[in-house]
Amino acid sequence: MMQDVKNRSVEKNSRRLFRNDMIFIVVLLLLVTAFGLWIYLVRGEGDRVVVTIDGKEIGTYSLAEDVTVEIRTGLQNEELNLLVIKDGKAYVETATCPDGICSEHKPISREGESIVCLPHKVVITVYAENEKDAPDIVV
Amino acid sequence: MRKSFFRWPGICVALILLSGAVGCGSKSEKYSTYSFDYFDTVSVITGYADSQEQFDDIAESIFSELSEYHKLFTIYDRFEKMENLSTVNELKDGTHRVVTVDPRIIDMLLYAKDMYKKTDETVNVAMGSVLSVWHDYRTEGTENPSEAKLPTVGELTEAAKHTDINHMIIDEEACTVTLTDPDMTLDVGAIAKGYAVEMVARFLEEKGVTGYLLNVGGNVRTIGGKPNGEKWLVGIENPKEESEESYLAYLELSGESLVTSGSYQRYYVVDGKRYHHIIDPETLMPSEDYVSVSVVCKNSADGDALSTALFCMGLEEGMALVESLTDTEALWMLDDGTCYESSGFGKYKSETKK
Ligand SMILES: [Zn+2]
Repeated sequence: MMQDVKNRSVEKNSRRLFRNDMIFIVVLLLLVTAFGLWIYLVRGEGDRVVVTIDGKEIGTYSLAEDVTVEIRTGLQNEELNLLVIKDGKAYVETATCPDGICSEHKPISREGESIVCLPHKVVITVYAENEKDAPDIVV
Repeated sequence: MRKSFFRWPGICVALILLSGAVGCGSKSEKYSTYSFDYFDTVSVITGYADSQEQFDDIAESIFSELSEYHKLFTIYDRFEKMENLSTVNELKDGTHRVVTVDPRIIDMLLYAKDMYKKTDETVNVAMGSVLSVWHDYRTEGTENPSEAKLPTVGELTEAAKHTDINHMIIDEEACTVTLTDPDMTLDVGAIAKGYAVEMVARFLEEKGVTGYLLNVGGNVRTIGGKPNGEKWLVGIENPKEESEESYLAYLELSGESLVTSGSYQRYYVVDGKRYHHIIDPETLMPSEDYVSVSVVCKNSADGDALSTALFCMGLEEGMALVESLTDTEALWMLDDGTCYESSGFGKYKSETKK
């Protein structure tokens, strides 16, 4: 009889333990999911355009907002590449570089695409974080 | 007694691991950096490293190697106490000296002679006289667009008389090179970038480095795949603005090289018409058959030489050349937007996406 009570008590205790653990696991899983989602949302702030001059990053712009950016280079900032972001695409509207190849380049909008202005050492690259299977490089 | 989870370290460990997997994944991250200092183009290094410092170390060693090859192979710059191709080209008392050079120059020039034969005499590093005529007109026309002119046929044919590669005399033992035709000069623009990229890639491979991608002005060389075992995804730009397709092809590479020669990469405009930089040795004019030619193969030097050669060859002839080579594939884009590819090119195309 004593034996029986003791058994039942152990069984009850272990069932409660099991329930506590399940709650703990579920809560932790929820936390982990929320954390993952938060990371994903914060980091994936959308498609953006990064501008570098001679390898140094000078600005990041969202592809979602129409904007015109004067990229200035040269000793007295006399050189210009006019970056235009419009309707989700980025292009060089005009430039003071001699070859003008950057302003002839087609608008870019997809991950890895870039416009290079060799004379001004300017690189404009698209980073589209939400694009699945995005290329590592576009040549 | 009720807080049993403290006694279950196993679960805690599992959950921490799980949260790690959901949160960020593997520890090595992707970094990249640019330089404009080498081969008159932009060099991009992309690689996976455990930290910014680790990446910077490797990037620095890559740039320092590239810098050495740049200094050896350039024909536009001279450096103190150093013989390079520029000093090989220079005349002293009306003749070229016998110049003792770095063995890396000898190796590259021997390779160039070999490629001259393999490309049916299309890639010729002894074409310096012709290319410098174009270079001067392009430079002047770029700086002064309203005055942009084309070289005259007379200038080009006169220059073309001095392009015999057999007048480049190499002494492997003595490590010397000399040009026996005084009006002849070397221009290794068609192979130097690819050759240097290949040498740097092998230098990294010997050090056991993997998970890097080099791109020097369209000469791409992958060093291994990514740390997670995936291959690199490389898009070939579609230069046509009106086209729906962003990429001509979407490739998966792991250890291979991709080199693209395009008429849109470097050019100048005369009377509203573009004249690009890839000069056909037969016509002495920019080759107008293609918008771009891409070559996938193991060796980036081969890729560079071949993409230039194919750019100046008819499609049939070029296709036959590519099909005769092992592990070498190519993609041609014509001016009207149509593309042709060699029989095995498809095996490098990504299945997941185009
Ligand atoms: Zn430009």
